[in-house]
Parts: sequence; C-alpha cells; structure tokens
Amino acid sequence: MKKKNIIQKDLGTKLLRSLSVYGLALFIAFGFISIIIALLGFSVPDALKTLITTSFKSAFGFQETIKKTIPLIFTTYAFTIPFMIKFFNIGAWGQMLFGGTAVAAVGLLIGNFGLPAFIMIPLLVVVGILAGGLWGWFAGFLKAKYDVNPIISTIMLNFVAVLFVNFIATSPAFKDPLEGHPITRPLSSSATLGFFHGIPYSIILAILAIIFVYILLKKTKLGYEITSVGYNLHSSQTYGINFQRTIMLTFLLGGALAGLGGALEVMNIHGKLIEGFAKTSGAQYGVFGILTSLVVAGSPTGVPIAAFFMAVLLVGADALQRTMQIPVEMVFLSQALIVLFIVIIRKKFEAKGGK
Amino acid sequence: MTFITSFISHTLVYATVYTLTSLGIILGGRTGIFNVSAEGILLASASTGFVTAYLTGSWLIGFITGALIGAAFGFILAFVHETFKVNQFILGIILVIFGSGLSDLLYKIIVGVRLSAPQAPHVPTVIIPFLSKIPIISGILNQDVVVYFMYFAVIIAYWFYYKTKVGLETRAIGENPKAADVVGVNVKRRRYLATIIGSALIGVAGAYLPIAITGTYSPDISAGRGFMAIGIAIFASWKPQRAILGGFLFAGIEVIAFQLELISANIPYQFFLMLPFISVLIIMMIFKKQIEFPASVGKPYSRE
Repeated sequence: MKKKNIIQKDLGTKLLRSLSVYGLALFIAFGFISIIIALLGFSVPDALKTLITTSFKSAFGFQETIKKTIPLIFTTYAFTIPFMIKFFNIGAWGQMLFGGTAVAAVGLLIGNFGLPAFIMIPLLVVVGILAGGLWGWFAGFLKAKYDVNPIISTIMLNFVAVLFVNFIATSPAFKDPLEGHPITRPLSSSATLGFFHGIPYSIILAILAIIFVYILLKKTKLGYEITSVGYNLHSSQTYGINFQRTIMLTFLLGGALAGLGGALEVMNIHGKLIEGFAKTSGAQYGVFGILTSLVVAGSPTGVPIAAFFMAVLLVGADALQRTMQIPVEMVFLSQALIVLFIVIIRKKFEAKGGK
Repeated sequence: MTFITSFISHTLVYATVYTLTSLGIILGGRTGIFNVSAEGILLASASTGFVTAYLTGSWLIGFITGALIGAAFGFILAFVHETFKVNQFILGIILVIFGSGLSDLLYKIIVGVRLSAPQAPHVPTVIIPFLSKIPIISGILNQDVVVYFMYFAVIIAYWFYYKTKVGLETRAIGENPKAADVVGVNVKRRRYLATIIGSALIGVAGAYLPIAITGTYSPDISAGRGFMAIGIAIFASWKPQRAILGGFLFAGIEVIAFQLELISANIPYQFFLMLPFISVLIIMMIFKKQIEFPASVGKPYSRE
C-alpha cells in the first residue's frame, strides 16, 4: 500500500515536471516566434491563431493534419530506434524516398499483370519496407564494420536517394509522357489505397506500426537488447550482446519504418512518384521526424502524440503561407526553436531534479 | 588545354568552400566541440551574405556579414552546449534546420521573387604579373582573393597548432580537457573562441557560394557540402594541412562528376551526380585505419 503511494507520487511529480518543461519551452519559443513574426512585419495574433488553430477549425484542416501525422510517425520512429542506442539516423528522408521510389518502380513494372489488390498492396508494402530497410541497414553496416559516423553516412545516402527519385521520375520507362514535370505514370488502382471520409487508409498501417514498435521494444529479446545497449553499452557487452548486430538491426528497423512511410505516401497520397516529393513534403517529413523525436526526448511511446503536434504546426504553416503570405520556411524556424527550448529546459530540469 | 585550365580553376573554387568549411569544423573539434551545424551555417551565411552584398554593392560587406552570421551560430552552439550541456549533435542538427529555414525566409522577405536573378558584385581577382600569362599556371593563380584567404587560413591554422604554445594547449583541450584545465588553460573560453572563429570561417565559405561561384542565391545552394566537410574533417584526422588535401580531393571529384555528366550520354546523369556523395563513404571506408579523433570531441566538459 505504501509502495503504491510512492509510485503514484513519483508519477505525479514526473507528470508535473514534463508539463512544466513543455509549458515553459512552448511559452519561450512562441515568444521568440512572435518577435520574428513582428520583425517581419506581420500581425502576431493573427499568425499565431492561424498556426495553432487551422487543424481544428474545419474537417479539411483535421484531415490534412492526419495526412501529415502518418508519415511523421514513421520518420520519427526511424530516428528514434537508432537513437535508443545513441546513434543518429539523419537518413529517414532518404530511406523514405528510397522506399517510395522502389514501390513506384515495382508497382509500374508489374502493373500490367492485372494482379488483384489483395496481392498487389501487401506486395508493394513489403517492397517499401525492404527498400527502406536496406537503405537504413547500409548506414548501420558502415558504422558496424567500417566505423563510418552514421550522421555522415545517412546524409550521403539521403542525397543519393534524392537523385535516385529523380532518375526514376525522369526515366522513359516510368515517366508520364503527358506530364511536363518529372512525374511517373499513375499506379494502377489495384496498387493504391483509398480514403475513408478524407482520412487515408494508411492510418491503419501507422497504428499497426505503433503497436509493432511497442511490442518489439517491450516484449521481445531484441527490444531488451536495444534498451540495455542504450542504457549501458559496456555491461551489455559483458552479458554477450552483439553490439555490431544491434547497430545494424536498429538502422534496419528504422529504415524499414521510414521506407513503409514512403511507400504509403506513394500508394495513398500521390498514387505515383512525383519528383518534387523529394524536396518538398518528403524532405519535411524526413527532417521533422528528427525534431519530433527530440520533442519527446527519443521516447518511443510519445511518438504519435508528438507527431500529431508537429503536424498541427505544419498544417498551420501552410495556412500562414496561403492566407498571410508568410513564407512556409517560418515553420522550420518555429519548430527548430520549439525543440531547442524543450531540449534546453528539459536538461535544466534534469539537473535540478537530480540524477 | 582550356579543359585542363577550366578544370583547375573550378576545382580551386570548390576546394575553397570545402577547405574553409572543414577547417571551421576542425577548429571547434580541436577543443572538443563537434560542429555538425556547418550545413545550416553555409545556408544562412549564403543568404545573408548575398543579400547584403547585393544591397550594398560591396562583396566585402557580403563576406563580413556571412562571417558574422556564422559567428552568431557558433556562439549559440558554444553557449547552449557549455551552459546547459545539451548534446552537441542534437544542437547541431537543430541549428542546421534553423539555418536552412532562416536562409530562404530572409531571402524571400528581403529580395522576393524577381524575373531575372539579382547578381552579386564581382569579387576581385588576384593577378600576379608574368606568371598569370602562362597557360594552366594562370588557371591556378588567377583566382579571387577568397581563394588566397583560404590558403592563408590553412597556413595560419597549421602554424598555430604546431608552432605556438597556445596552439599546443588548444590541442590538449581536445585530447584531455581536464588535464588542460589543471595546468591553467581556460577550457570554456577556448571552446567559445574556437567554435565562434571556426563558424565564422564556415560563414565565409557560405557567403562565397552565391557571391563568387553562382553569382546569385538559390534555395539549397550548399547542396550538402556542409555535411561533406564534416567527412573531410574526419578524413583529415582534424589536421588543417590534411583538410586542404581533402578539400581539393572532393572538389576535384565534384568537378569531374559535373564534366562527365556533360560528356556522357549513355549513363543517366543522376549517377554522376551521386559520385561525390558515394566517394565520401568509400573514402571513409578506405581510410578507416588512419583516422584519429581528438579524444574529447563531442563530449561536454564540466569541472566537477
């Protein structure tokens, strides 16, 4: 009985502490954001209102937010899982693009065989997972075998993936001759997913991914290995955990999830491979996955909530551009500032709270 | 002949960007601060440097602004890391995102969309009498002042680290901050200074991109060179004299890839453009054994 009370009290202070971290950080960050908006000569109350409330004002705004939350969940996991063993996967962008591109290429190549949707869709999902996983694994392999810093290798692989998107989208074998821009022919209807009241069906796979990551980390041997390597590398090595293998597996898993995210973007949102995806929304998801993960201090359980929060800001930023002509880059600044202050204040509280 | 001359002069120009950027990273790293934010600094300095050079008509003001913006990034990095002990890599990545947002935002707000791209003022070229008339050699010598600034910076850095007492102390901070602290070196102040000066050098490289190379600003102008420069700093084992080698190597690869792309019709051009990025990985794999790191790089230091 007494023990339970202590746990509850502990949970209470923990909750209070994280609430104050987020509250304080958001307060300071939005203070800075307001100053920047004011310096640029825009109305601060209007801009903040648009930034925060667009997602909740209309069904369309909410649907857009969900559409952005789904890929963000995948790219956030792609950063989070290797980050659990203190490695930086900056490559969710490339892994996502590689997964999406592979899905588009394979989908178009086998599109004429007339395969039914119940074969086509699982097949393409697997292709996306494998392609993204391969791209992620490669960075893990370079770290494990050649000690190449993953920050560098994943970024280099990003640029290669961007060029690969360009190659597939401009290749005569895939390019839509009717399009002026580098865009592939549309995937057959059996290879694409639909919408339910404006919500893409890919949300089902996102929920499955959330459950998958939870079970993997909490209930499996691999999850235990990842947690213990992250907690203490040396002692886990003494207990026989193969560090090299753990590195490669975390990057493989991260890449696979990002690849699935890319596959779903191609199959559910675009229905084809658009070259611009590499530089616009694809780049946003890849980059913001990192920030999203940092919002919840790399904790896997917080990912869906943090992803939704970041998606709200992304949708708000699009609205700022549409209605107030504030360049969409404002959101890069805002999110970087928000995360910067969350990181600083969390560190400050940790120092105060002891341990 | 013209092919060789143009190859040399193009390589020199890009080598300047790579070398200055990796030298900037090395300065921070030598005191234990791993500056991952180079790409963000390049972008922010490119934008602000170009805008000020364009508005004032002075290339020099452009470079000074670029350096100051770089220094500001360096200060933020050092300040947040030293004060709150926030992980350097996390900070660096946040600053990259911040810098890439800031660069396009400022450009869009100040310059906006123009029908014809605004042009930066011309950067003066150093002309050495007689020698500048000889083919090939002229390609090496007839360069703008920033190329010479790059040589100068490398030489100064080499002299500083290996010929001065202060330089030796600074190297000691990178290897063992505690020991350096014990013998009376102000670790914190050196870390601030090194990161700020290093980031200012990266800022000069950033301003160089639009002002001297392309003549105008365009989004994503650094195209990953800030990250490749991290690769060069590591490949160079954090030594200035090797950073210039790495700078020339990567610049050469980039220029060759670009020229092959124009010549070859059979192989899709995207594969040539992948070459620089892939060679970073290959070179790091090959030189795995030779790479040394200052022992304290990336780690916070506090006295307790």
